[in-house]
Amino acid sequence: MSDDDTLRSVYELVQLMSSLNDTRRSILIALAHIYPRSVSGVQLSRLIGYSGKSRSLYRGVLAHLQENKMIMIDQLTPKLYAIRINNEHPLLMLLVDMCRKYGSKSKKIYEKSLEE
Amino acid sequence: MDSLLVRAKGLYVDRQRIALATVMIVFTVTFYVFYSPGIYTLVEGIPHQIQYGSVQGIEIVYSFNTIGFFLAFSIMVFAYAVWSWAFLPSPAVSYTLGVLKGIFGPSVKIKHGIGKRFSLTLDNGVDVNITCRIKGDGPEEWFMYRLESSKFESPDLEKIALRHGMSVSDGRLVTWVSNDELHSRTLLMGNAISMASM
Repeated sequence: MSDDDTLRSVYELVQLMSSLNDTRRSILIALAHIYPRSVSGVQLSRLIGYSGKSRSLYRGVLAHLQENKMIMIDQLTPKLYAIRINNEHPLLMLLVDMCRKYGSKSKKIYEKSLEE
Repeated sequence: MDSLLVRAKGLYVDRQRIALATVMIVFTVTFYVFYSPGIYTLVEGIPHQIQYGSVQGIEIVYSFNTIGFFLAFSIMVFAYAVWSWAFLPSPAVSYTLGVLKGIFGPSVKIKHGIGKRFSLTLDNGVDVNITCRIKGDGPEEWFMYRLESSKFESPDLEKIALRHGMSVSDGRLVTWVSNDELHSRTLLMGNAISMASM
């Protein structure tokens, strides 16, 4: 990919991220950092510091993110879901790459909150 | 949340309370109206083995009065459902119109229809339909919007949609947007539309 293409993608990524609201943005950032791990709904709400029931995340936020192909949700058992970022998304692919390259410190923080 | 939307939310909650109170009063009145004039029962000649009190009970429950009462009550529920489907509180309408005019220019034609719908036609002839839903499914999301463009023929449509955080359904760009995303994501949709219609 040439520099011009990368810059354009970064620009589009910034625009996309800034168009999302707080909850959706923090979900994508957190999932991009811990990629390729996938998390359950409860773990995700802990990751983004969400105080409500994790079930309420599914209906509005996660369902819409999945519809727009930004995240993938696999149903493991009737009650357990594995949520991960969609690494084939043309812009989020770039976000994941950046997080892997420069985000090791943040990654540690995110992983610590998953350990407990 | 925008102050107009806060007001719209307050109005909506108030109106729901008023509607509930009205329904309770109307319910009582219809109950009185339907059962006071006399019972027109549906069953004739109930066997004598059953006690007389029970016969009276059955006659009251199984009667034209009950049918009429349920009809009246279902009309009430239906009217309430239509009312809450059709109307968006006016502060929310002016917020939505303001945001849309801010993006597509003050001269854009916006039609506000019944059923919380907005449809606008852009300069290049593309239609965008916006449907609002009060009390969306998400947390703290009071007003959700469904954006839907008209059909495109562009071969890159899928890619354009992905890069603007949308999805494609039936050749249209579609997405759900919460009220605090309405401005930024409608803007992105405007970009996507101009790319797709090139």
